[in-house]
Amino acid sequence: MNHTATEYPIHARGLAKRFGSVQAVSCIDLDVAPGEALGLLGPNGAGKSTTLSMLMGLQHPDAGAAHVFGHPAGSEAARRLTGATPQASDFPDQLSPREILTYTAARYATVPQLDTLADRFGLGAIMDRRTAGFSGGELRRVSLALAFVGAPKLVFLDEPTTGLDSEAQDGFHAAARAYVAEGGALVLTSHHWDEIEAICDAIALIDRGETVLSGRIGEIRARASVHRLSFGLPEGYVPPEWTAAQHDGDSWHIETDKSDDVLRRLVQEDVPFADLTLRPIELRELIARIRQEETTP
Amino acid sequence: MTRYLIAECALNLRILFRQPGFWVPTVLFPAMLYSFFGANSGGGQWAANAMASFCVYAVLGVGFFQFGVSVAQDRESAFATWQRSLPGGIGVQWVARVVAALFFVTIAVVLVVVMALVLTDQRPGAAPLARLAVVCLASSVTAIFMGIALGSFTPARAAVPLANLIYLPLAYLGGLWVPPMFMPDAIAAISVWTPTRAMGELSWAAINGTGFETRYAVILLGWTAGAMALAGLAQLREGRRA
Repeated sequence: MNHTATEYPIHARGLAKRFGSVQAVSCIDLDVAPGEALGLLGPNGAGKSTTLSMLMGLQHPDAGAAHVFGHPAGSEAARRLTGATPQASDFPDQLSPREILTYTAARYATVPQLDTLADRFGLGAIMDRRTAGFSGGELRRVSLALAFVGAPKLVFLDEPTTGLDSEAQDGFHAAARAYVAEGGALVLTSHHWDEIEAICDAIALIDRGETVLSGRIGEIRARASVHRLSFGLPEGYVPPEWTAAQHDGDSWHIETDKSDDVLRRLVQEDVPFADLTLRPIELRELIARIRQEETTP
Repeated sequence: MTRYLIAECALNLRILFRQPGFWVPTVLFPAMLYSFFGANSGGGQWAANAMASFCVYAVLGVGFFQFGVSVAQDRESAFATWQRSLPGGIGVQWVARVVAALFFVTIAVVLVVVMALVLTDQRPGAAPLARLAVVCLASSVTAIFMGIALGSFTPARAAVPLANLIYLPLAYLGGLWVPPMFMPDAIAAISVWTPTRAMGELSWAAINGTGFETRYAVILLGWTAGAMALAGLAQLREGRRA
């Protein structure tokens, strides 16, 4: 095993998993570099959770291999270095967050930083209450704290902010960024693109059990620097055909990777636009565009 | 390792202890059955044997039945799945299960003995009681692993009826309710191979101060090894399939 492979928090190639007649995952390649936060994206049923389970060692792949800091996924050495949120927040009703966190820390043979965790995830008021009557958001906050309590070097977070109010979401985003800034690696699945952009520096898009796109967000943006021009026009006025502008009932929008040229031409042609804004298109739109270009011959 | 073991035991005991609806009836049941059906079985050796039988029944009820069912229920929880992603060997979790089960088995057995002291004129000495305690301890290990094996192979919903289907006939076949000498020949022939008969024979020898028969010790060991192997197999299967 070479030096780089042992340092890589995640190195997975060709992961495949079948459940009966359903091929849940057919070819997943993933890399997470040290101190990197990877967002795992994909529609429902794309294979995100199965992939996560294999990386955590809860399921054995039928083919391919996954390594965590150079150790086989699921091995004792790999588990010692990773933390994860439970896939569903159903804790034994009889226990308090303090008891569950203390127990988990004992399994990592670490001393739990309960005060820090309580601060980061807003557990102060509920630390010593039994989880029986907890709301969905409270349970989720306990789940998040559990992923971090063992001071892991790699954390798996499966839809971490589902059920959290916006204040708790912001708190989580700050905690995740701080963890990555301190050198921790992180894998996050989420349906919220803004959350992925707020926390992650890289993404992997999974569709029908395969990695269809992966890379650092900055590089993906650089690869296709598409901007959207939005503007209003006087009533009855239609933009020139070459702009391929779309109307959303309110404003006109042009998506282009040559925004300067488009803007110059609009001015030259005396198009009477007003309230012009120019911004990079959202990541999800960009990815949809890249995929469309890749699949269109 | 030690810290993990303590944490695991504390977790198990806390969860169980905070469910009085689970453990109170569980530990009371054998003592209640004993007071209805065992306490009036005459005097002398009969009475002593009846007490020992119900102690074994307590071991079986708590160790096999309740823990088999709880293993099946736990296995289906997301928390148990998540626990598998934590560091620390699975062996410690098993030891902790056995410790937690032993705790409640002990209460159930002590209650049967207390009922015997209250309801009958038996006054067993310290030595026979100590011997009985050793037999109960050994039987508990067998019963708990049989429970773990059952719980590892059955879905939670099937666990209760299936455990009943095994545990009640086993109690009868082992001669815990009806002394073996009153069994029809066919039943008696099966009886000698059951784990409950082995437990019963050893417990009767313990309380009466007679020698333990090697044959029954070997049978009990065989059942223990078999149950451990099954539980281990289930664990492997769980890991592969998951």
